[in-house]
Amino acid sequence: MAKKQTKSSTATAAPRVFTAADKETLSKLEALADRVIAAAEAGRDPFLDIPSRTLSNVRWCPRKKIIEMGRSTNRRQLFNLHQAKAFMQTLLVAKGAAELIHAGKTLSIRGLYYRLKHRIKGTSENTFETQEECDPIIEDLEVLLDSLREQLHLYADKRGDMVGNIVLVDSGDEIDCSRMGSGGYAIPSIVEPEVIQFKKCTAKFVLHVEKGTVWTRFNEDKFWQKHNCILTHGAGQPPRGVRRLLYRLHNELGLPIYCLLDNDPWGYYIYSVIKQGSINLAYESPRMAVPDAKFLGLRSCDFERCGLSDSVKIELNQVDRRRALQIAKYPWFAQKKEWQREIKQLLDNGFKLEVEALISKDISYVTEVYTPERIAKRDWLD
Amino acid sequence: MGTNKEIATQVEDGARLVASSSDGKGPGTALAPRRRVTAQTLAAAQRDISVSEFFAKNRHLLGFDNPRKALLTTVKEAVDNALDACEEAGILPEVWVEIEEVAPNRYRVAVQDNGPGILKKQIPLIFGKLLYGSKFHRLRMSRGQQGIGISAAGMYGLLTTGKPVSIISKTGPDNPAHYYEVQIDTKRNVPQILNGKGEGVDIPPGEAGVRWMQRHGIRWIDVPHGTRVTIELEARYQRGRGSVDEYLEMTALANPHVTLHYRDPEGNEKTYPRATEELPPEPKEIKPHPYGVELGALVSMLQETNAPTVHQFLIGAFSRVTPSIAKRICETAGISPRSSPKRIGPEEAEALYRAIQETKIPPPASDCVVPIGEKLILEGLRQLVKAEFYAAATRPPAVYRGNPFVIEVGLAYGGGPTVQRITREALAELLAESDARTLRQFLITQFDGLGPVGADKIIQEAKLKRRMNPAKLSTAEIDRLHHALSTVNLQEGQTMTVLRFANRVPLQFQAGACAITQTTTQMNWRAYGLAQSKGSLPTGPVTVMVHMASVWVPFTSESKEAIAAYPEIQREIRLALQAVGRKLKMYLLRRQRVQHEGQRRSLFLRYLGEVADAVTAIRPVDRERLLERLVAIARKKTAEADMKLDEHGRFVEDSELLDGSVIIVDERQQGEEAAAVTPQVQEAPAR
Repeated sequence: MAKKQTKSSTATAAPRVFTAADKETLSKLEALADRVIAAAEAGRDPFLDIPSRTLSNVRWCPRKKIIEMGRSTNRRQLFNLHQAKAFMQTLLVAKGAAELIHAGKTLSIRGLYYRLKHRIKGTSENTFETQEECDPIIEDLEVLLDSLREQLHLYADKRGDMVGNIVLVDSGDEIDCSRMGSGGYAIPSIVEPEVIQFKKCTAKFVLHVEKGTVWTRFNEDKFWQKHNCILTHGAGQPPRGVRRLLYRLHNELGLPIYCLLDNDPWGYYIYSVIKQGSINLAYESPRMAVPDAKFLGLRSCDFERCGLSDSVKIELNQVDRRRALQIAKYPWFAQKKEWQREIKQLLDNGFKLEVEALISKDISYVTEVYTPERIAKRDWLD
Repeated sequence: MGTNKEIATQVEDGARLVASSSDGKGPGTALAPRRRVTAQTLAAAQRDISVSEFFAKNRHLLGFDNPRKALLTTVKEAVDNALDACEEAGILPEVWVEIEEVAPNRYRVAVQDNGPGILKKQIPLIFGKLLYGSKFHRLRMSRGQQGIGISAAGMYGLLTTGKPVSIISKTGPDNPAHYYEVQIDTKRNVPQILNGKGEGVDIPPGEAGVRWMQRHGIRWIDVPHGTRVTIELEARYQRGRGSVDEYLEMTALANPHVTLHYRDPEGNEKTYPRATEELPPEPKEIKPHPYGVELGALVSMLQETNAPTVHQFLIGAFSRVTPSIAKRICETAGISPRSSPKRIGPEEAEALYRAIQETKIPPPASDCVVPIGEKLILEGLRQLVKAEFYAAATRPPAVYRGNPFVIEVGLAYGGGPTVQRITREALAELLAESDARTLRQFLITQFDGLGPVGADKIIQEAKLKRRMNPAKLSTAEIDRLHHALSTVNLQEGQTMTVLRFANRVPLQFQAGACAITQTTTQMNWRAYGLAQSKGSLPTGPVTVMVHMASVWVPFTSESKEAIAAYPEIQREIRLALQAVGRKLKMYLLRRQRVQHEGQRRSLFLRYLGEVADAVTAIRPVDRERLLERLVAIARKKTAEADMKLDEHGRFVEDSELLDGSVIIVDERQQGEEAAAVTPQVQEAPAR
């Protein structure tokens, strides 16, 4: 059916000229379809060997200081009770990607989910019930084909903002990030050089904060003006667009990256993802991880150091403790005594701190005292 | 009619008991503060009690407690005797049962057989005298042990209607048929012949006889030889549990060599044809087995024997005791084999008793007990219950109290309960006849295997009330009830139906007191794939029949409707149930696997279309061909698992299940096709 649509569109419109990247992705998708056809013809059970995206299949490369994906794969079979649907879904996503490449269009991953979601004939079951079901399949296809999301003509919902002394060109439009008002420049999902070029940058470093509220505080206090920097946030765990942009700012413009995150296991892990790459998307680490990123805070010692009141403490729960111990064992943390001390102190404290805790001391304490002090003293964790 | 009549020990004991308590010298008078009567006046009132008189006053002991049961007992006695007579003569039995309502609450029961017939002079004694017969004094398997004899039924008829028993018996095609009208003289326990001036009438063979019978309004089905007994009695006819219909149905099940013709009071005729042309082998009379003898019994046997030596006594009085075994027993007991049995003292007797238990003696000969056999049980069950799976097991002979016995079990699984097969008309009739006070009670008592849960479900579905009077339902309400009966899924609410038999005779009452019910309830059926809550029968569409064949079936009471729970008997019942249980479990596992595979297949099939769509969208190949290939693989995949593996991934040989003691009515093929065409809706599998 999809084939027909493509045919008709190519028949009426001028034949599309595929880029080299599109041609490569298409041939990978076709090879995938060919495997299923060949297996069916031979009367064999069609299967896909999908590189596994788990902790057990990531390797810490001490030399490059990033997480790399290992070689183990999970076999996904069509004729396996627990995998049949996932197999079908993987091929659906492949079909969707092929369709997008043929049409020369891109879709958000949510858009693709809507594009592919339909009632399976003769049942009351949908191909996908929720987007949460679709997203991991897209990631599976990325690792399976060794193609990036953008090569499949897909992008994630954008998240994260930027402001600072930099001028860039986004899809041909010149954007001066020092003139973005209170809202800032929304970092797009795809920030590849084809889309975004850096035109002029006077900033000396990048301060990445965890979430929008803290970012707004810094923006309002014109921190980036006073300290000549770029200010970004990723609304929690930063999406790929933000991470890729940080990577480019660091590697292409030579800007150091400082992170100001919550003092809890989740804050540690956000830092870890920016620095070494994520376990789930280990295959993207080489083009996203910034091994030189520094962790400014909050630190476990900040409660005493900054003289905070008891009211800002949030007690650690069981999940927090377990997660903290897990993180302490990650090979990229295990070797670092300072980090081991940091995590141990968090556990000893028995409470966590959000960046907002500093606001309890003074509205602008975090922008006017805490952060400048850390940077000035080069007081950070690596 | 049968040549045998019997009476049970319990009744006899009862008679003695009553007689002695009317004895004036009892403790009652001794303790009285003032003398009211003298020994002389008492002596004048003391006299013999006729057995007949005793039974006339204690009719419940004979199974004539109420009009409904009286009808059943009458039919039962007549049919049991007919079957025993035919089998002893080596004739394949064919029995006609005809019940006719002559007036409200008054029925005429006629039972005719194709047995050997009865000699003229024996007829009045057999039908007109209690405690006359041959079965009581021997240790041999027979039906007759259950009842008290046809003469009791005749006596009941006489008491309630004043009509005598009429008997026609013919011993050969060319012999005249003897026609008697007999009644029992209850005072003297002697028969009185009423017709032919106390001599009876001889009906000539051939045309003349037929005409004579027509003239006198006597019904006779033309068989070369046989007996027909007709009794008129006060009774009540009702279908359902404990009914004549149920008795005949169960009798047909346990007696696959019998053809039964039945005409009920409404004129409906039904025939249960025989499933085999082979008569069961004739059971042999045996002596008691030493293992079963109790110390007291052993002492009295020693006293009564004529054997000159203990050695000879042991060989002569018991079965399976060879000279060498007898010698070994004597050695173990430390008694000289040559000592006289009369001189054995209490201590020596006890030593002898213990020596018997310690000595290895072969089990009693099994030819004295004739089981129905697995094959015929399966046949019978198939005719009685519509199910998908049948299994049967016959245990090797065992012994309780020296009496050999055999337990056999049949099991039917699947299919709806009887409720779901009932017609609208039959339901309306049942409702009108019922004496149940509430609708709920009606449903529970009328239908086997329908527990309170099922009854409630049906009533709720029919939008009726539980406490409604079943006889007063409107037409629309009956319609709703009938609809609910046939549609409500009773699989869960249904409890196991247990059919009990002793020497091929159905046991219809006192289920709770019976070793069969008790053992079935105590079994852990969950181990065999059935749901069961503690202390009750398992639930599910299961029918179990348990048959105890023995030279002497131990009943719990004089009413002879429950088997006593001897540990040996319970053990055998349990082992037999376990044997069929294991087969059931294998079947259920297989069925589950088949269902599982069906689901698996439908799951694969539902995604294949999508896969084919996706692939052909990327590569322009023939979608139909691709789909066809994929479907073929799916079928192959599921078929393989289907055939060879059970849920643990072990190989299952089907021959293991199909060893002749099992019948499976396979509806799998249809089910699978249905699953393939319209995949059923089910939750998405976890990824």
